[in-house]
Amino acid sequence: MRKIRVFFTKLGRAKYISHLDSNRCWQRSIKRSGLPVWYTEGFNPHMYLTFPLPLSLGYESKYECVDMKLMEDLSDAEVVQRLNDALPLDIRVFACAEPVMDQKEIAWADYDIFLSCDNAAALSEELSAYFAQEQILVQKKTKKGSKEVDLKPHFSVLKQEVEEEGIALTLRCTTGIEVNINPSLLLENFSGIDKVETTSTCRTMVYTAKLEQFK
Amino acid sequence: MIPKQLEKILLDVQKPSQYIGGELNSVIKNREEVDIRLAFCFPDKYEVGMSHLGMKILYSLYNSRPNWWCERVFAPDADMEQKMRENNIALYGLESLDPITNFDFILFTLQYEMSYTAILNMLDLAGLPVRSKDRKGLWPIVAAGGPCACNPEPIADFIDLFFLGEGEEVNVEVTELYETAKKEGWSKEKFLLEASHIEGVYVPSLYEVSYNEDGTIKAYTPVEASVPATIQKRIIKDLDSVFYPESFVVPFTSIVHDRSQLEIQRGCLRGCRFCQAGFIYRPLRDKSHTILDCNAKALCQSTGYDEISLTSLSTSDYDQLGDLLDDMLPWTVEQKINMSLPSLRVDNFSEELMKKISKVRKSGLTFAAEAGTQRLRDVINKNVYEDEVMETCKTAFEGGYTSVKLYFMMGLPTETMEDIKGIADLAQKVVDLFYSLPNKPKGKGVQVSISCACFVPKPFTPFQFEPQDTMDMLHEKQKYLMSCVKSKKISVSYHDADTSYIEAVLARGDRRLADAIELCWQKGSKLDGWDEYFDPQRWYDSFAEAGLDGAFYANRLRSYEEVNPWDHLDYCVSKNFLIRENRIAKEENRTTPHCRQQCSGCGANKLVGGKCFA
Repeated sequence: MRKIRVFFTKLGRAKYISHLDSNRCWQRSIKRSGLPVWYTEGFNPHMYLTFPLPLSLGYESKYECVDMKLMEDLSDAEVVQRLNDALPLDIRVFACAEPVMDQKEIAWADYDIFLSCDNAAALSEELSAYFAQEQILVQKKTKKGSKEVDLKPHFSVLKQEVEEEGIALTLRCTTGIEVNINPSLLLENFSGIDKVETTSTCRTMVYTAKLEQFK
Repeated sequence: MIPKQLEKILLDVQKPSQYIGGELNSVIKNREEVDIRLAFCFPDKYEVGMSHLGMKILYSLYNSRPNWWCERVFAPDADMEQKMRENNIALYGLESLDPITNFDFILFTLQYEMSYTAILNMLDLAGLPVRSKDRKGLWPIVAAGGPCACNPEPIADFIDLFFLGEGEEVNVEVTELYETAKKEGWSKEKFLLEASHIEGVYVPSLYEVSYNEDGTIKAYTPVEASVPATIQKRIIKDLDSVFYPESFVVPFTSIVHDRSQLEIQRGCLRGCRFCQAGFIYRPLRDKSHTILDCNAKALCQSTGYDEISLTSLSTSDYDQLGDLLDDMLPWTVEQKINMSLPSLRVDNFSEELMKKISKVRKSGLTFAAEAGTQRLRDVINKNVYEDEVMETCKTAFEGGYTSVKLYFMMGLPTETMEDIKGIADLAQKVVDLFYSLPNKPKGKGVQVSISCACFVPKPFTPFQFEPQDTMDMLHEKQKYLMSCVKSKKISVSYHDADTSYIEAVLARGDRRLADAIELCWQKGSKLDGWDEYFDPQRWYDSFAEAGLDGAFYANRLRSYEEVNPWDHLDYCVSKNFLIRENRIAKEENRTTPHCRQQCSGCGANKLVGGKCFA
């Protein structure tokens, strides 16, 4: 039995598939692919899949992964091929490999975001001021209710460019099993002069605490 | 590319994945390379419509033609509809995301009467006039088929053309005719007239209806000599050679029947007198187990589903069931695929059969007893005896089952309070049986659920002449049933009487109901199969405003001589046969043997060249 980590993109129409549905879609696709994956044992056997990072509904991603166990030895290339033959078109596998890092090591993720607005230049200045505050306190919903969190230590702005129809942003946010900060949380609390609308969000990379690419 | 307007609203609605397509096995073609665009519309929510086998068959069949592109369309839920209307987004096909307004065909499947207002709402959301006469151009042709097409009169003013019977051949023939019509630039009128010459096609605008003074129908008259006076339904003679899809579209979000479905037979040999499906799908035709096994393998392979259900009207009447299970069990068990067998009868549910199905995961057991006393079960020709119910439950309990669901109806012809009490008594006997068994499952109590529907008289059944119980009577019977149940091991659920009444009006209604249906839709009716959207008062108000009396349709005893709104449609069960069965039921209280035992002369044999079981 071999542990593998499968890397994939979730773009276009697939961004409307919730995490739960996405999980089910993977189960069925793997079944279609005929890959000899390991099932849990017990009364009600089910396919053993783990997704380290749920992706929010409406987000695209160029760097998602799922771990599973193979009962037979197959080449990585064959796994990629068979999965792509079985998955819906908007979910594409681009790599498969032995896991290098523990899922717990995930610490950061980068997001490309586009904010649509009319007066982008003015708004971008307001946004900079918002980001520059000493503290950015927001209410974060948790399983037990809601608590106040300071977002300031949890993000950095890698890119902020004014374009014709809005602002293109790249944000790096704290990500992981313990603390997970959605860029939407940060942006929803910003109220600029004009109405802002987030038209797209795409996770582009996932890193460890030392900013190594998660593999 | 997803249209921007759509992107803007999708994250503001529940379960957006149902509105965006892109599912596994959905068919994407190049707009520029297709000649005919079809929208297959299910007039209910995605989770219901996507469960429907007929749609899967016809979707795959249409799309097997390279130059035809068939897309799926469902009724949006209220939140989505509101957003669509606010943002001027027309109803669109899930494959191309294009508005269906200018498609060639808009096809509706008529599975239940309560979905009629959803059809109007969907036409309106597509930006089309709801009345057939207000849609002038050749396209879109709005067509409909399915079980309710056996009396399509209440919606005859909205639909251009109905398919009667099974669609695998006639739908294709009509589309081929349309290809010619489009090429040659025919008018809609010319196309409909030509289409009416195809067997199984009913064009309601080509018939005039006259009425008697008492409000009953006098006659249906074709407006032109070439239009057939009666229209015979279509069937597929040989199920082994008919098209069956190798793949289903696999949804992302969960749906009602989220599994592969294998159609093992069509028709039913039983002739239960209340059951419309048992008559309109006649004659019984089996599909051979070897072909089914191949179909099943292909489906499981292409969908990745871990469950497959064997569907038919009466699964345990399928002659080759044992062989089929023997074919399928080895590979389904190996691939961890669960098999489910709905529609089992209590009189032929054997221990052997149960052992076979219990090799896979256990699911609940459901049996349709339909009536509480033997007398009434004989009236409805159920041909099930109490000791058979007991024997089956015993087998099930000894096999480890601890819960059983029993289906009943109330309001059946000749029913008395004695029969209602019989429902509770039967359930109690099942409970007592459980505790009397020395080898009952240990450590668990038994749960018997009674599910009680209100009887709705339907066209093409021996009870088509019968009045439905009034709502007061139904409510009284429901109350009485509750008072008869003494054990906490028995739970009772029953259908809403209002829904059943409206269903009864629509099921045996005529063309005059169109106004009421349109009014009801205008008042906000659009997803009436759902409690949260259903308001019976809207219907009562609409009947009144349209000057119609619901009781005329639902609660009136119809004479054998009366011309029914469906009498010009020939489903190959003769009216004489229905009258004969009605008499045997009510006057003689006698059952009729099933088709394999003895032919009862219903008339369906003419569809298969003389003999049903050759």
